Amino acid sequence: MKKLLLLLAFVVGLTTVAKTQNAVLISGKFEKITPEIFFKQIEEKTPYYFYYDVKHLDSITINIDVQNQSLQDVLKQAFQNTDIHFAVDVQNRVFITKKIPLIASLPANFFKPGTTQQREDYTHGLTVNTGINNVRKAVLADNKLYEVGNKTNTIKQGNAVVNGYVRNSKSGEPIFNASIYVDSLNRSVISNQDGYFTITLPAGAHKLNAQSIGMEDAQFNVVVYGNGTLNFEMKEHVRLLKEVVVSAQKIANVNRVQLGVERLSIESIKKVPTAFGEVDILRAVLTLPGVKTVGEASTGLNVRGGSSDQNLVLMNGATIYNPSHFFGMFSAFNPEIVKDVELYKSSIPAKFGGRLSSVLDIGLREGNKKEITGSAGIGLLTSRLNIEGPLVKDKTSFILGGRTTYANWLLKMLPSPYENSKASFYDANLSVNHNIGKKDDLYFTGYISRDRFNLASDTTYGYSNLNFNLRWKHQFNNKLIANFLVGSDRYEYDVTSEQNKINAYKLKFDINQLNLKSDFSYVANSNHTFEFGVNAIRYQLHPGSFHPNGKESLVEPNVVAKEQALESGVYFADRYTISSKLSVNGGIRYSMFNYLGGGDVNIYTPGLPKDESTVIETKTYDKGRVINTYHGPEYRFSARYVLTTSSSIKAGFNSQRQYIHMLSNTTAIAPTDIWKLSDPNIRPQQGAQLSIGYYKNLKANTIETSVEVYYKKIKDYLDYKPGALLVLNHNIETDVMNTKGKAYGAELMVKKTSGKLNGWISYTYSRILLQMDDPTVSLPVNDGDWYPANYDKPHDVTAIGNFKVNHRFSLSLNMTYSTGRPITLPIGRFYYAGSQRVLYADRNSYRIPDYFRADFAMNIDGNYKVKQRTHNSWTIGVYNLTGRRNPFSVYYTSENGQVNGYKLSIFGSAIPFVNFNIRF
Amino acid sequence: MNRLIFYLVIAVFIVSCRDNYELPLRSNDVSLLVVEGVLTVGQGATTITLSRTLKINEVANFKPENGAKVTVEARNGGTFTLSETNNGNYNHPQLPLVFGQEYRLRILTNDNKEYLSNYVVAKQTPQIDAITWRKEDNAMRISVNTKDPTNSTRYYKWDFDEAWEIRSNYTANYRWISGTTIVESPNYNSQCWKFGKSNTISIGSSAQLESDVINEAPIHYILPGSERLGVRYSILVKQQSLTKEAYEYFKIMKTNTESLGSIFDAQPSETKGNIKCISNPDEDVIGFLTASSFAEKRIFITQQEAGWVYRQLCESVEVPNSPESISRWVPGFLPFDSKEGLSGIEVYVMAQAPCVDCTARGGLLNRPSYW
Repeated sequence: MKKLLLLLAFVVGLTTVAKTQNAVLISGKFEKITPEIFFKQIEEKTPYYFYYDVKHLDSITINIDVQNQSLQDVLKQAFQNTDIHFAVDVQNRVFITKKIPLIASLPANFFKPGTTQQREDYTHGLTVNTGINNVRKAVLADNKLYEVGNKTNTIKQGNAVVNGYVRNSKSGEPIFNASIYVDSLNRSVISNQDGYFTITLPAGAHKLNAQSIGMEDAQFNVVVYGNGTLNFEMKEHVRLLKEVVVSAQKIANVNRVQLGVERLSIESIKKVPTAFGEVDILRAVLTLPGVKTVGEASTGLNVRGGSSDQNLVLMNGATIYNPSHFFGMFSAFNPEIVKDVELYKSSIPAKFGGRLSSVLDIGLREGNKKEITGSAGIGLLTSRLNIEGPLVKDKTSFILGGRTTYANWLLKMLPSPYENSKASFYDANLSVNHNIGKKDDLYFTGYISRDRFNLASDTTYGYSNLNFNLRWKHQFNNKLIANFLVGSDRYEYDVTSEQNKINAYKLKFDINQLNLKSDFSYVANSNHTFEFGVNAIRYQLHPGSFHPNGKESLVEPNVVAKEQALESGVYFADRYTISSKLSVNGGIRYSMFNYLGGGDVNIYTPGLPKDESTVIETKTYDKGRVINTYHGPEYRFSARYVLTTSSSIKAGFNSQRQYIHMLSNTTAIAPTDIWKLSDPNIRPQQGAQLSIGYYKNLKANTIETSVEVYYKKIKDYLDYKPGALLVLNHNIETDVMNTKGKAYGAELMVKKTSGKLNGWISYTYSRILLQMDDPTVSLPVNDGDWYPANYDKPHDVTAIGNFKVNHRFSLSLNMTYSTGRPITLPIGRFYYAGSQRVLYADRNSYRIPDYFRADFAMNIDGNYKVKQRTHNSWTIGVYNLTGRRNPFSVYYTSENGQVNGYKLSIFGSAIPFVNFNIRF
Repeated sequence: MNRLIFYLVIAVFIVSCRDNYELPLRSNDVSLLVVEGVLTVGQGATTITLSRTLKINEVANFKPENGAKVTVEARNGGTFTLSETNNGNYNHPQLPLVFGQEYRLRILTNDNKEYLSNYVVAKQTPQIDAITWRKEDNAMRISVNTKDPTNSTRYYKWDFDEAWEIRSNYTANYRWISGTTIVESPNYNSQCWKFGKSNTISIGSSAQLESDVINEAPIHYILPGSERLGVRYSILVKQQSLTKEAYEYFKIMKTNTESLGSIFDAQPSETKGNIKCISNPDEDVIGFLTASSFAEKRIFITQQEAGWVYRQLCESVEVPNSPESISRWVPGFLPFDSKEGLSGIEVYVMAQAPCVDCTARGGLLNRPSYW
């Protein structure tokens, strides 16, 4: 555009003759209007016609009052103190340029060498550097000079706070985790979920760099006059060439103060080959160091030795209790809607609370604000469709996505008697965001997922998540920004049985929570950023209801009294930059849990096992009354010391409290696991983690290396007694016991973030040991000795590689090796009830064989013409390339009087898959 | 549920699989006392079986505990000694137990260790209403119906004895005696009976129901193609009542030892029964003593009623009647028919021994009294 204008101007200039242009005089009051409107108004009154680039003018406001002045004079006044230049040719065309003055006519003395033309006649303003910086094409986003703060002719000394939003130039979506930095100052910040950032800069001119995954690196010329706003856009890579498979931003891993934070962008998640080719967010998270699972059929995550209920899974602020479909085979997140996933393994920000091990923060995309687009995909088991676009252009947009399965065709291939099995699931997301004004945004997120499976028509299982929330973001000023969220989360499951009419039943369980959150972020100055807020969760939990199903059923209704509680937290954190090298992030969260009536609570004899015989009394509490309260502080501290520009060391200490517990007596998380609130008989779980890390980037930040070590203690983790009844138990405290745990490990990672070949190799050493130390338990597991947890897999090596053959074709290869998980093996046999049987003892004292798996995928994209109706892509691959029969479990069973040992593998051979996606 | 999911997982992911797995040898194997048996209240003998746990890799299937002294003690006085019969069995023809009274078992083993159970209450067992059967996807499911109008039983356990008639595929007219000697013997070993007993733990509870009703509690599955229903089948179901604690003990034992390896399997859990070693309190004892009366019911199912299909794989050969030829085929093949020529029997028609002689299939020739 600019070049064209230049060329045009020169051509015009060469072919026209200079004239004075005082014929038209302009009068009027132009108050606080944009240049565009200003030009339009002049065009209406005069024969002049303006040529300009809107982008050059967006930081300028016209504020002049003129009487009978020539156009030149008017424009001079209008653009005083800016780098805007203008030129007028004989045909009354006005060319507005930025920085580079244009000569629309040949100077009068053009053909008289030796004389100089006073440019001041035509232009004014700053001395400008000439030419477009073609050398750093990828770097300089545009030639626009961004001005921040109230413009003054002289630049004042001192620091200024610059804040603003980074957005995608194509869709208008905010860019999360963009790294914004000024090289010369060694200062960098990271944009938040809304694309918002705040950086403190000395007044004056700077080159501001911005980097983000999938975006072209950008550089902006910024002049800072004072505190102010800087909004800018980044361009998408038309083709994501130098993509980082798993990314923290390029230098963020070294610079960020927190430890143990892992980020995955959806692009990198899509490259991780999975069984059946279904893009699976939790499976991708499982490739990260420090994250384990009991086996391939479970999406339950075990982060640094935590159990699967110790992870807070948030999707746009909504708590997802069961993030899986198809009894744990797939995760319940639609990859087309997800923007990115952030996992906090160690430094959990103070604003999060309520879980011990980790926070998995899933951010959803905002709908395209500029045009209606969509995508659709077909895989072996699911198909998906999503549509997004503006409701009001540039103000309001929506994104709607849904997935459903048609796995029944697979079930039809089952041998009798299971051919009549049915399994189905769907999930749907709707997000709407609305920009109210410069300072306010509203976000709505809604999510529903539902699973049903019926195996040979005996019993039907179903479960669903239902979540919605509304977030209001308000910017008080450029230092203080606030988010207010109100939301409701629900998880329920039901089991129905119909075949035996006498015993037919319906079993139901649900958790409801109402969330209120207010989070504030305040940039006090260049050294302090404060985050503070108040959260509250109101729980209502129906632990189980059992009702007859049908008229003939003799089932006696059995309803476990509902549980209610209020969990609230107040937090304060300070990100304190002590020096350019040392930064600390200190936070404290004070959480309180009130278990609320009405209901009955059993009081047991202190020091004796809790059972029916040790009940002293049963107290009845009225509705709404506080039955008991737990409260305590949680500390969140981390520090970073920069050793060189590409290396740093960090240390962190974190403590957490958890007031809601999942009780499961199965190895994998099952759809029928129940959740239990802390109450007078069940103490909250507590955990604390100490971690230290060293980070070093090599080769211009294209290779990241890190070592993190941690030690973690868990107190009052809830385990169940042998033979415990967990469902429909009115006094569940009699069937559970407290366990303590200790976990420690080291995580080593080498990651190549760019180039044709990228990916990472990680090695994790980790242990998690449990000990049943409850003195009131008469029969502790393993006699009260330490024993490894189910998911204790000391050694784990993962390599993820992506090789880009050309722009349209890439290859991915994953390899994972880990120690086999512990299992309980028999120590003897005995004969009872007509059969040989096995005798178990010593929980988890043996291990199943080691696990190894390699997966391979090819990603083939259609052509990349930006302007075509649809873009499509194929993913073809093989899961478990070597066909190794990795055991999920080893078990012994008595069959026809004999004991037989078996090794069960979920995926016993190589599984090819194909997936087709289309974008429109 | 577990079984279903297991199959689902296996079959949906046709790729998923189950391989045999050898039990790894463990060094810390133990030898615990195993006590099995019910104190029979009312009519009937009481048998308590004592055995020892075995090492995983031991060849033996059963190691009886012989030479022990086993007595039953009543809480309100009275001691009854059980007499050792054989193979770890200790017997009493008729214990004079009274419903509602409490009894316990005392065992003094050969190595002078003393074991004592908790007191257990003598429970009454209601009658079995019906034994029902239904074909479910070609398998035969046998279930039991019962009820206790007083709503006091609630927990049940069932065992069964089964018997079935088998017929040889080829009715023999001849009998091979030895060597190459074959004599005529119409219907020789063509009809036999086979016997079995339950080898799984069948328990049921009506605790979740308004009234104490057990409806179609499955106690036995006969897999498709089984010879059990090839002619006529009979099952004698023995019902006993349990206490809640005993029910829970057997439930854990069943879960631990009969689970089918689904992905949602519960972890094996340790549990203790109601028998303790008083000489060494740290020593575990396997088993749960119960005291109850028994209710029994027998039904018959014929092949026609069940619409059952059973086929034996047989092939017949014609063997020339010469010592050389005969000796080449017997005893793997046995004669059942012949073809006569001018000079008497020219060839014997033979088939695999189990197709001709039902005792070769493990059958017994004595017709049971109830048949």
